[in-house]
Amino acid sequence: MIDALMNLSLGQHAAAPFTVLTLSHYLLLSAALFVLGLLGFLTRRNMIVMFLCTELMFQAAAIAMIAFGRYHMDVSGQVFVIFILTIAAAEAALALALVVLLYRRKETLNADAWSELREPAGE
Amino acid sequence: MVEKLWFLIPEMIVFGGAVLVSVLGLSKRKVIRDALPIVAGGSLLAALIVTPMLYDAEHVAAANLLMGNLGLYVKVVVCGIGILLVMMNTGLIDRRLESAVAAGRAKFDPISATRGEFFAFLLLSLTGLMLCSNANDLIWLFLALELTSLPTYVMVAMSRGSKKAQEAAVKYFFLGALSAAIFLYGFALLYGASGTIVLTEMRDVFARQADFGDVSNLAIVGMILSILGISFKIAAAPMHFYAPDVYQGAAAAVAAFLAFVPKFAGLLALMLLLSTIGWENHYRFTEIGLPPALQITLWIIAVLTMTLGNVGALLQTSIKRILAYSSIAHSGYMLIGILAGPGLGMSAVLFYMLAYGLMNTAAFAVLAGLERSGREIETLDDLAGLRQRHPLMAGVMVVSALSLIGFPPLLGFWGKLYLFIAGIEAGHILLVVIAGLNSAISAWYYLGLVKMPMLEQPSARAETVVRGPSLWPRVAGLITAAAVIVVPLFTRNLLKASDAAVADEQVFVTPDTDDSQQLASRK
Repeated sequence: MIDALMNLSLGQHAAAPFTVLTLSHYLLLSAALFVLGLLGFLTRRNMIVMFLCTELMFQAAAIAMIAFGRYHMDVSGQVFVIFILTIAAAEAALALALVVLLYRRKETLNADAWSELREPAGE
Repeated sequence: MVEKLWFLIPEMIVFGGAVLVSVLGLSKRKVIRDALPIVAGGSLLAALIVTPMLYDAEHVAAANLLMGNLGLYVKVVVCGIGILLVMMNTGLIDRRLESAVAAGRAKFDPISATRGEFFAFLLLSLTGLMLCSNANDLIWLFLALELTSLPTYVMVAMSRGSKKAQEAAVKYFFLGALSAAIFLYGFALLYGASGTIVLTEMRDVFARQADFGDVSNLAIVGMILSILGISFKIAAAPMHFYAPDVYQGAAAAVAAFLAFVPKFAGLLALMLLLSTIGWENHYRFTEIGLPPALQITLWIIAVLTMTLGNVGALLQTSIKRILAYSSIAHSGYMLIGILAGPGLGMSAVLFYMLAYGLMNTAAFAVLAGLERSGREIETLDDLAGLRQRHPLMAGVMVVSALSLIGFPPLLGFWGKLYLFIAGIEAGHILLVVIAGLNSAISAWYYLGLVKMPMLEQPSARAETVVRGPSLWPRVAGLITAAAVIVVPLFTRNLLKASDAAVADEQVFVTPDTDDSQQLASRK
């Protein structure tokens, strides 16, 4: 789908032979990482794995940023990536703190163990 | 760059307040720790006073922002409501520690005191929201949105010592991280489609693309991903389902904060991002308007959000869950204004955000100000016959519920009226009809909030409801309720202010030869 999109929007590059790494290859990689992260987030229940999946999605965006930056010969994509890394680090600190807090209470990393807050059943 | 820094003086003041508060929170003297909310409120007040002095035509033109005057309205509103939110959070944190120290059971220990951090995070989050209004590139916008959100995750976890608050914080955090990743990917695609991260330049690129046919599909996909990610911040479908759980788990004062601050930040981000692609008669996009794919996405999100919000609230017994679903529904109404676009639509959104901030804070202030056996009141039963024991709080609840329905002449009515007018003018008749039907559904559960305190007899359970330890949440409730009644008198002035906030400084520029040469060289 990304290939088709690239064909529509950016033209000639998508048609390059497979042996040459073009923008669309990087975008395919980043889209694959993004989808893997999303699927992992939705299917896994271990809180640390879920967090790593969101990190994977962040890095997917970072790869896309760098690829586009190179494509446009523009440095701001790379600048953006530095800020993405910073935010990802801040989120990691926060995530681990929260996970430790929860682990102390229940001695499990399973997200399903925490389901006190939910819709009132059958009322 | 210096021109842009000029407008950051209010943010710097609030940030300075955050640093000061986090240091003072370590003090051994109770007097100083008790003064923290005053310091926090004081820094917001200082920013509130300074903001109008900064915005003059000369500086606005020099800064060359996408919406130069947006910050003036946003910062004044955010600081004003921020002061009320600080009042509501007074006395919430460190209650047990303080009482233990007072009784001589414990000595003060800076490690277990968290009040300083809490107010620092509160101020940082408000700083992020204020920064959103100045954003002129994607990095800035991303950082401002994250600065708004990250502190709120911690605030939820800190707000109560209970397991529920921690569960709420983790749910909120994980979905927040997911949504951040989604809109970040959207930003990456927008950058790829335009070749620039500066919003004003991006608008020119998209306008040129529109001149040569259509805005690129990559930009549309990027925009849709951004909208989906940001819908978490404004609690809109399909990322709305966390709201009831999180609001229920957090303390009422923090829930009020969550209903206002991230929502406002998300709406500002939506306004800024969408104005790079543009509405009909906006900037150079004279004919095409918002691309159909985006229109349909926003339309579906708006309808789903308001319907799911109102239907979800019908069967709830917890007041916090009702208010959470109402928060979802109100986001749906505000999306009408976003769809309608610049002019009346966006100024109606800004006006509605002020109205919603006041009336919603009033409702949560009642919950924060009263308690039953040491805990905040939560279920509808607790409100039964409130009129007899706490008449003022009952009054606040009634005023805010009526305003949330949109009962004339209260503030909520005017907010909704302008949103609906904007929707009709922009031709979204069906959407406005659906919103009207939804308002009718919402009357059912809001009237429950009116009926319980006024008409019911107090139950044995409700007899044990007493005033909370701190006076300030109730004062905040009274102030907001009074504002909901009084502010409609100034509707005209406020609308003028919000109109000015979204007025486009940029004049229409025809694509001259320079532009097309640049375009040719780019290709």
